[in-house]
Amino acid sequence: MKYSYLWLKELSGTKKTPAQLAELLTMRAFEFEEMKTEGEETQMEFSILPNRGHDALSHIGMAREICAIEGRKLKNGSLASLLEAKLPSSRLKVEIKDKNLCKRYIGAVVENIEVGPSPKWMQKWLLASGVKPINNVVDITNYVLLELGQPLHAFDFEKIAFNGNLTSNWKLNFQIRKAKKGENIKLLDEKIYGLNENDLVIADREKPIALAGVMGGFDSSITDKTTSIILESANFDAVSIRKTRTRHNISTESSYRFEREIDPNLAGEGAARAIELLQKFGGKSVKIVAYSDIYPKKVNPWTVKLDVNYANSLLGEKIPAARMKKILENLGLKVRTWKLGFQVGVPTRRIDLKTPEDLIEEIGRIFGYENIKEQPLSADVKTPPQNAKRNFENKLRDALAGLGFSEVMNYSFYGAEDIAKCGLKTEGHIEIENPLSMDQQYLRRALIPNMLKNVGLNLKNFDDVKIFEVGKKFREKNGDMLEISLLNCMLANESKTPFFELKGALEALLSNLGVENVKFEAAEPECPVWNPARLAKIFSGNVKIGKIGEINPAILKKYGIKKRVAGFGLKIDDLLELTKKSAVFKPVSKFPVVERDLSMFINKLANYGEIETNIRKSGGKLVSSVELFDVFEKEGEKSLALRLKIGSREKTLTSAEIDGVMKQIIYRLEKDLKVKVRK
Amino acid sequence: MTSKKIDEIKSAFLKEIENSRSERELYDIKVKYVGRSGQLTKILKNLKNVPPEERKKIGPLANVARQAIERAYEARKKELGEQVDWEKERIDVTLPGKKAQIGSLHPITLAYREIEQIFSSMGFEVVEGPELELEKYNFDALNFPKDHPARDMQDTFWIKSGGSKRVLRTHTSPVQVRYMEKNKPPFRIIVPGRVFRNEATDAKHEHTLHQFEALVVGDDVNVGHFKHIAKQFFSAYFGKETDIRLRPSFFPFTEPSFEFDITCTICSGKGCPTCKNAGWIEIGGAGMVNQNVFVAAGYPHNHFQGFAWGFGIERLVMMKHKIDDIRWFESGDLRFVKQF
Repeated sequence: MKYSYLWLKELSGTKKTPAQLAELLTMRAFEFEEMKTEGEETQMEFSILPNRGHDALSHIGMAREICAIEGRKLKNGSLASLLEAKLPSSRLKVEIKDKNLCKRYIGAVVENIEVGPSPKWMQKWLLASGVKPINNVVDITNYVLLELGQPLHAFDFEKIAFNGNLTSNWKLNFQIRKAKKGENIKLLDEKIYGLNENDLVIADREKPIALAGVMGGFDSSITDKTTSIILESANFDAVSIRKTRTRHNISTESSYRFEREIDPNLAGEGAARAIELLQKFGGKSVKIVAYSDIYPKKVNPWTVKLDVNYANSLLGEKIPAARMKKILENLGLKVRTWKLGFQVGVPTRRIDLKTPEDLIEEIGRIFGYENIKEQPLSADVKTPPQNAKRNFENKLRDALAGLGFSEVMNYSFYGAEDIAKCGLKTEGHIEIENPLSMDQQYLRRALIPNMLKNVGLNLKNFDDVKIFEVGKKFREKNGDMLEISLLNCMLANESKTPFFELKGALEALLSNLGVENVKFEAAEPECPVWNPARLAKIFSGNVKIGKIGEINPAILKKYGIKKRVAGFGLKIDDLLELTKKSAVFKPVSKFPVVERDLSMFINKLANYGEIETNIRKSGGKLVSSVELFDVFEKEGEKSLALRLKIGSREKTLTSAEIDGVMKQIIYRLEKDLKVKVRK
Repeated sequence: MTSKKIDEIKSAFLKEIENSRSERELYDIKVKYVGRSGQLTKILKNLKNVPPEERKKIGPLANVARQAIERAYEARKKELGEQVDWEKERIDVTLPGKKAQIGSLHPITLAYREIEQIFSSMGFEVVEGPELELEKYNFDALNFPKDHPARDMQDTFWIKSGGSKRVLRTHTSPVQVRYMEKNKPPFRIIVPGRVFRNEATDAKHEHTLHQFEALVVGDDVNVGHFKHIAKQFFSAYFGKETDIRLRPSFFPFTEPSFEFDITCTICSGKGCPTCKNAGWIEIGGAGMVNQNVFVAAGYPHNHFQGFAWGFGIERLVMMKHKIDDIRWFESGDLRFVKQF
């Protein structure tokens, strides 16, 4: 809210400059935003958070704060003497149909209004607070809003439901009710709004004349021809106002305050103040001819008990009780002694002070948080439990960085377009209700789409791209919403088969993590994003841990990617389960290991995996390693060259024994897999 | 006379091999002296024509000379064998090395590690929670009233679904409640994680962010304790003595609530454009845990005290490394990531 410095100065009696006030209020109450100075006046803007929207969105509220912070109590807290004289009420009948939505309604019919400019001092203060002066009636309602925080409204009396037949015997009926189906209203902003059955309206006998607490109707607005008005000072339910204004996408000074809940007792003060000002500045002989105050359930001050020791325990200081008392009294609270501290009477305008902690906050902030001394925590010296998953993810990251991969982070959502581009389906996707843009419509079911974007982007600046992401994917399954941690890796370079380079990195990674019995099996893709001829399932023993493959070239084209891309995905929780063991030293063999090369022609359909498995089966423990070092294709025939390492952990093998093993290996390869071993 | 000749041959040989450059050359020299037609060989062959008394003198001399030549030959051969032609070895050391690369970790990951390390050293446990969160944990249990402007303070992504209302969590605070439901005080935890705010992105605003939450609960944890831990943390993170200051604020899940600032790391509090001459930089929010949150987590009312504190990682990293645009973090652009 914007405040006039001179107005605050007059109300509070402060001698501080705007800059000093800004600093002081920021440290004790509200965050200062900015100020504009013109001559002697300064407009100061402060951020008032929802918990103080009840009492600080007004100059009087702010002035009270300033005094309390300066260590004194605000003088002249109530500006208007509540109307003493008995005022005629019978002619204005107000019926509150929904007492939960309207806690109080004051209506006053005021005659002999002469519409003209408001006094110069009022205009100055309105301008300084960021409000444009219009005429005395409107200005007075705005002035009271800014001074006390009570929203007011003025209707042109003659325009309300008499159809031109104004007699001196008039009687006026107001209803505060929910709108009826089909009703609509033209508001002060000159737009017509179709009303919802949950909108609260002020209505006369025929139709709604105002959207309660939000904006008045256009037809009954004050013009320079107005000679009598109906002044409204009321209190409306915060939730209802919030829903209504959101529904119609309106926001006014009035709705802003009601949304934050206002004390119903303030309506009385507001009405009295407005009438006082109308009598002074609304015309030469302004007269109140009807006054109706419907206040079904009066709100009374309440008490909060404060244990002084608790206050000091929470703040961590030893503030003397007398000091606490002074602070609370300066804020306008009534403090009586109680055995453990105080019984504090809270005025109805401080809707935010309901618990002892609320009071402790008042004490703490006025005392000054900078005056609370630091204290070391005294606690057991013990090691906290380790977060195994997080430590594991860090290990993963370090290993991948060592292998030359860099980490990316992507958004957790993508749009229908991304889903279509990758050939995914929208089923099983969790949808966002209120996305700000098309590419925030769905929670990602896979990390691949966003990573493909990364690859496309980075290939513009780098010849090869090696990236990984550790992140969550989301899916809906049988009514459950699942969140799964994944590791995804992508590699793009000049190679015709980046699959193998990525596979090498994956094998190195899994080995580094201690995952055993890693096997690869050709797989049929369940999803068109993969190149169907270059996809494998990854196993550790019999457990499937992920997939590795190349991305379908047709999909790459959609992303403008001209190089081949390989990728793999692993579920982190599954991986974590497989790597829990800590290393046990395996004694190094004392006996020599001999190399034997093996070259063979294989038929095109045989795969390397079968050959290695067969060799290891034949050779058993004596085969310590099998390494492929050459692949040769000529005239439809494929030839593999392998280097075997043969040795025993128990003794030095004789050459006869070694030859025997090789013979067995060759025999089985030729018999089982029909390869032709070259001599 | 002949003995003089033998000596001369030996000396000549020794001199010649000194200047030899290669094994081949050395070999040729040897052949010249002790080869089939070598000078010394001729003398030895001629011994049969020499009278016996002379033979008795010259024979041994010639043999001794021959042995000396052999030894010298072997020695010189060994020397030459060990000699290296350094000029042949020379390479241009200023040429670039063979390309090798260690990948870069994301600056957010690096920030998390640093932060977690500092907190672990103070005995804090690292706890995580779901990104897709129930409304109950994100708002209700944290004391946000329904249909209240307080919920406006956090622009929320709502999930379309029948049944329980879900959101993409707007802060890491829901994990406070989840943890407290399963654990009793005293404890100290930190909660790192991704959070989401439904706002438009620009150089200073993002919808996907990373946050850090600290929660300390015990019998008499107070504001003074919070100040101490915060100061310890920031001083460690920035590598120099850093002060903090608290200003009154409001969060539904804390009472009292504060916003806190740290001494501007650029000017050390003297005032500069980064901190708009205030000497302080706003860094995060904190407060004493609201008793309603304890109750929602299953603790008895007014039994425990605790403080909670949160701040954004992106902001911290941008300050530390002078990054100009928050959108770099989720861009996937290696020109950014590789700088860290």
